[in-house]
Amino acid sequence: MNITLDRLMPEPLASIQHGETSIWGNKVVLEEGKRILLNASSGKGKTTFTTTTIGLRKDYSGSILYGDKNIQSFSTDDWTEVRTNQISVVFQDLQLFPKLTVAENLRIKNSLTDTFSETELKQLLEQLEIDNKWEQECGLLSMGQQQRLAIVRAMAQPYEWLIMDEPFSHLDVDNAKRCMNMIHERTIAQNSGFVLTTLGDSHGYSFEQELFL
Amino acid sequence: MLDKLLFKNQDRLQLLIAVFGSFLGVTFLVTSIHYLIKVQEFGEGADILGPNTIIVQKKVSNAGTLGLKATDFSESEIKKIRNMSFIKEVQPVRSNNFKVMFGTKDPLVPPFSTDVFVQTIDPQFLDVKPDLWHWEKGDEFVPVIMPRDLFVMLNTFMSASGIPQVSDDVVKQINCEFKLSYGKRAEHLNCRVVGFTNQVSSILVPESFMQYGTDVFSNGTPQKITQILISGKENEFGLVEDMLEERGLESRNSQMVVGRLKSIVGTLFIVIIAISIIAVLVSGLVLIQFMQLLMSRNAYEVRTLMRIGHHPKKIIRKFFLYFVRIFGIITAIGFCAFLLLKFILDGVFASGGVNIDTQITLTSVLALVFAYGIFALASYFTAKKGIFNEY
Repeated sequence: MNITLDRLMPEPLASIQHGETSIWGNKVVLEEGKRILLNASSGKGKTTFTTTTIGLRKDYSGSILYGDKNIQSFSTDDWTEVRTNQISVVFQDLQLFPKLTVAENLRIKNSLTDTFSETELKQLLEQLEIDNKWEQECGLLSMGQQQRLAIVRAMAQPYEWLIMDEPFSHLDVDNAKRCMNMIHERTIAQNSGFVLTTLGDSHGYSFEQELFL
Repeated sequence: MLDKLLFKNQDRLQLLIAVFGSFLGVTFLVTSIHYLIKVQEFGEGADILGPNTIIVQKKVSNAGTLGLKATDFSESEIKKIRNMSFIKEVQPVRSNNFKVMFGTKDPLVPPFSTDVFVQTIDPQFLDVKPDLWHWEKGDEFVPVIMPRDLFVMLNTFMSASGIPQVSDDVVKQINCEFKLSYGKRAEHLNCRVVGFTNQVSSILVPESFMQYGTDVFSNGTPQKITQILISGKENEFGLVEDMLEERGLESRNSQMVVGRLKSIVGTLFIVIIAISIIAVLVSGLVLIQFMQLLMSRNAYEVRTLMRIGHHPKKIIRKFFLYFVRIFGIITAIGFCAFLLLKFILDGVFASGGVNIDTQITLTSVLALVFAYGIFALASYFTAKKGIFNEY
């Protein structure tokens, strides 16, 4: 599924002058299966890109198309289907449930599609070296651990696109690399694509496309 | 897991207060409706006159005895009473103006006969089956409603004659007869008791029989209406009583007492029902408000669940079922409390000599179901609105 941003301009960014290469106000196609880096400094709209593209914000002009369907025509059922089976997200503020344990945070997502078994979920945590936190309350984890948990949760569904909003901002180089490897493997296995927003660091990964804001 | 996420962190005290308020409201609602119905039903079927119905006559004063003051009712007097707001219906009670004798005519009982006074009233006031209450010349027997006093007298006579006394059912099987006469003309007509009354002192007969007697055996004297039958509106019997006092009318005291008591107790229960309805509404509103509070406290959780792919309908269902279950438990406990109260109150009534029917009234159960339905509906729409606010 291609995602087309056709002269997209979020209202809060309308008064700012954007460059010719910016995705704002231009036509950009996120091609199916591509691994894309979205590079921008602070305040240019990386989070706005994420929330607008997945339909959480509606204050924009222009249009966003999933395939050939304008997302403004999507019903509640359509959005539930998109968020369950087509687009997975790692939010900048993570959107975890601090009162639930790590296991419960993963189950509450995984139960929608039964993508992984409990063993597989534990193996994913083990890859990111937080498997010992399985029964720990999520709110008690460090920001870096929470970020890794949010990434594993995003893996726990089928997707055509994985959109990540500064997912490694609290991770050291080694942990970011481990995460990147996991994301790569999972994305390749599903023939899907991803968009990673960043302040400039490509985390040593070879992206197929780079976009700017 | 969703239950833990959405319902674990809540203010239990507020929930308990709302639950307790609802429980009290539900219990009082079902109890008051039940006893209001029982009070209205009290005495029904015990007599042939319908509920809130009395027979009245003018108080006889010395002037009346001397013929200086009329003791009968004019058409205009009847019309005035009929037009009063608390009166449902007024009908004259017609009396015989021909000679009638009533006696037994059965080989199983000794002969007994006496001059009697017969009356007829509009069948709409009588609690007897219409197919029993008609007569035409040539019919096998005339149906009659016997005053209890006469029945007691008959039994006393039987006892004095060395014959076992008879029950209500047996007396209905005894063949009796009327003897109508004028001068040398006389006619014997079979009759049979079809019911009893405490409220009328004369034998009641169908209107067609009264008309026949008047047409064939009357001495020509016009019939005077000395008694009228008044049917008051439910729970306004006190006003009927005031009107009787004001107009110098009187009725049998027992009829008045029952009517007055039913009116007072009925009004009392209506007040309790009103208070209970308010209590149920207020506590229902508190529960709904608690639901809104719970949703607003869980706004982040609700929003995030939808962002990671949980359908809003699923979350609405969670909140809806949670509160419907709570109100279901309240209703069930309220109903059990009602049964306990009923057991105690029925005992209190019985020990006071008031034997009311102890069956649970369908209306009180339906009232509970209705209250539950309203709450379920309100819960659903509140949950729907709250969840979609976060969508």
